[in-house]
Amino acid sequence: MKFGRMLRQALTVARRDFTATVMTPTFLLFLLSPLLMIGFALVGSMTASSAAGGGEARERIVVIAAPDKAAAIAATDRQLRKLVAGPRSWATLQIEGAGDDLEAQARALLASSQYDVTAVLYGPLERPTILRRPSNYSDGNYLAQLAEHTLRAGARGGAELSRAEIRIAGAGQATGGGRSQAAFFATLGVFFLTLMLSGQAVGAMAEERSNKVIEVLAAAVPLESVFFGKLIGAFGSALLFVCFWGTLLAQLPRFVPANIAAELGNLSAAVGPIFPLLFVVYFTMAYMLQSAVFLGVGSLAGTQREIQMLSLPITIFQFAMFGFASYAASHPGNWLALAAEIFPFSSPLAMAAHAANSPALWPHVLALAWQILWVAITVTVAARLFRRGVLKSGSPKRKRQGDRRTIDIAVS
Amino acid sequence: MSSDLAVSANGLVKRFGDRRAVDGVSIAVPKGLIYGVLGPNGAGKTTTLRMLLGIIEPDQGERMLLGHDAPRDASDRVGYLPEERGLYPNMKCREAIAFMGALRGLPWSIGRKRAGDLLEQAGLGHAADDKIRKLSKGMAQLVQLLGSVVHEPELLVLDEPFSGLDPVNQERLEKLIRGQRDRGATILFSTHVMAHAERLCDRLSIIAGGVVKFEGTVNEARALLPLKAHYTPHHHVETAGALLPADAERENGSWRFTVPSEGIEALLVRLIDAGYGISGLSIERPGLHDAFVKIVGPEALEQAA
Repeated sequence: MKFGRMLRQALTVARRDFTATVMTPTFLLFLLSPLLMIGFALVGSMTASSAAGGGEARERIVVIAAPDKAAAIAATDRQLRKLVAGPRSWATLQIEGAGDDLEAQARALLASSQYDVTAVLYGPLERPTILRRPSNYSDGNYLAQLAEHTLRAGARGGAELSRAEIRIAGAGQATGGGRSQAAFFATLGVFFLTLMLSGQAVGAMAEERSNKVIEVLAAAVPLESVFFGKLIGAFGSALLFVCFWGTLLAQLPRFVPANIAAELGNLSAAVGPIFPLLFVVYFTMAYMLQSAVFLGVGSLAGTQREIQMLSLPITIFQFAMFGFASYAASHPGNWLALAAEIFPFSSPLAMAAHAANSPALWPHVLALAWQILWVAITVTVAARLFRRGVLKSGSPKRKRQGDRRTIDIAVS
Repeated sequence: MSSDLAVSANGLVKRFGDRRAVDGVSIAVPKGLIYGVLGPNGAGKTTTLRMLLGIIEPDQGERMLLGHDAPRDASDRVGYLPEERGLYPNMKCREAIAFMGALRGLPWSIGRKRAGDLLEQAGLGHAADDKIRKLSKGMAQLVQLLGSVVHEPELLVLDEPFSGLDPVNQERLEKLIRGQRDRGATILFSTHVMAHAERLCDRLSIIAGGVVKFEGTVNEARALLPLKAHYTPHHHVETAGALLPADAERENGSWRFTVPSEGIEALLVRLIDAGYGISGLSIERPGLHDAFVKIVGPEALEQAA
């Protein structure tokens, strides 16, 4: 009954806070703020890619050969390039007809300003000479292998000696590396979301204090309910943010290249399909725990300046928890990892990683009970500190002459 | 606690550092009455009310609120207007009142409907959908008061409710307080303005220096001081003073003096027999203000200042 009433009161406070937060133009800015981040990231990466790509596009490796060899060399080049996947490959091959002075021709090509020629092969393929720039070791080696494989292909008349059938097996199966990556990304995801969203709680009581509503609330509702209601209200707006961006990000695999999608497919969690649910639950707990601390600390701050000053220690605290949990993600079973899973404020991050590394579910039941207990402890302690530190007497004893006159007038 | 009492407290003590803000206050508020807690600034009125409501805990003493040892257990049946007025400025009036009701367990939908009715009754119907920040201070104060009664509480606690209100709104507020009493609610309010207390209170306590100095009705407080007579002789105004009590003071063509404890009749016979006659005579009961000053004493007033 008592708990039910406290919950009802907390939800009343939460509803007011949620509405006051969401029904403002500022919330739209808050909701769309990651667009700025994504925009800056896109512009930065496009600029960097353009600069790097422009340089790579101009690079060439050159073979000086008789025209009758050009087709065989080009065919071998196409075969060899299949060995290398990914964006970084060797420079584009260019085949030049042979002049009178091959070495001079090769040096002239290296000095050419039309392209950035990194290496030049000239002379008979059986004993070629390769000139390369000092930093282009791999391009030189590639040209050597190109000569070798062109001759081998020629020796068998261009016929393929082996034709392999390549099949895909084990798709979707968990690997150690995939679990480890999933653990890290889970920790990173919870950390990143709480870093962005939970810091808001530090100023959550500022409105009540500046508007003097706090006494109305404190008279009607236990402070624990006020604090808990504020946490729920703030979490509601955070959840709206997460749902909005989660929905958008869920569409991302449709648009990423196949090889990246395949890499993402290797990420797998040991607990199986329940992992996304555990991720959401641990994000909730991380948010509640950290926000409860920030709410409590922020509620004791007397001025906006003090609240602003708290942002740095708060961020440092969050990074410390992330560091602790990251260690747990990469060293499952280690005693320090266990400590990170037990320490209340790193526990949600570390347990999200635990879900990726270990299939057992019972530790999560324990961990969630432990974390809920700490949310309750933190909120209770924060409320008591607030009551002791902020809700003291009513009218301060007045000293000034002006106030003395007020009393005289009032009494007469 | 007697079931006839809405509020009772026994020996409440609250210290802030070395200062004893409230030093053993005992109070008993019968149900269905308007009860005033009077005292100069810093007397401990607000702290006493906060302890009664459970906003802060007493260091010593016991209290009961509507039959509950823990004031929180009765919070849904109590309305409270704090001295420091506070509303969310971006809330609409109707929502603000409904919100305050919801905190006390009133469903939002009923709260919104009652808020509209209350605003109409208070002459603020036109502002029901205005944001609080658009209201004048007095209007906002009335909205907050409506928020404290929207759930129809059995006990209404008002801390300095008249401060900051103009005479028109003070009149409205007095009417609203009487209306709540007529509805059957108990009203406990603090003030240092005697005129309101004199007009409204069925019973009152006077607190000074954290201590209850008086408890009773307004008339009982006023009865602590003797009656004053205002006498105008028909003849020889100057020499009439010789027959009057020692504290008699001349006021133009009249004399003012304390009515003797045995009554004024014998004195009047002597004045008539001596040929002074009676052109005018009035007996005045001292106001609550005079009683307050006497009860509190100049030291307490000086301390408050």
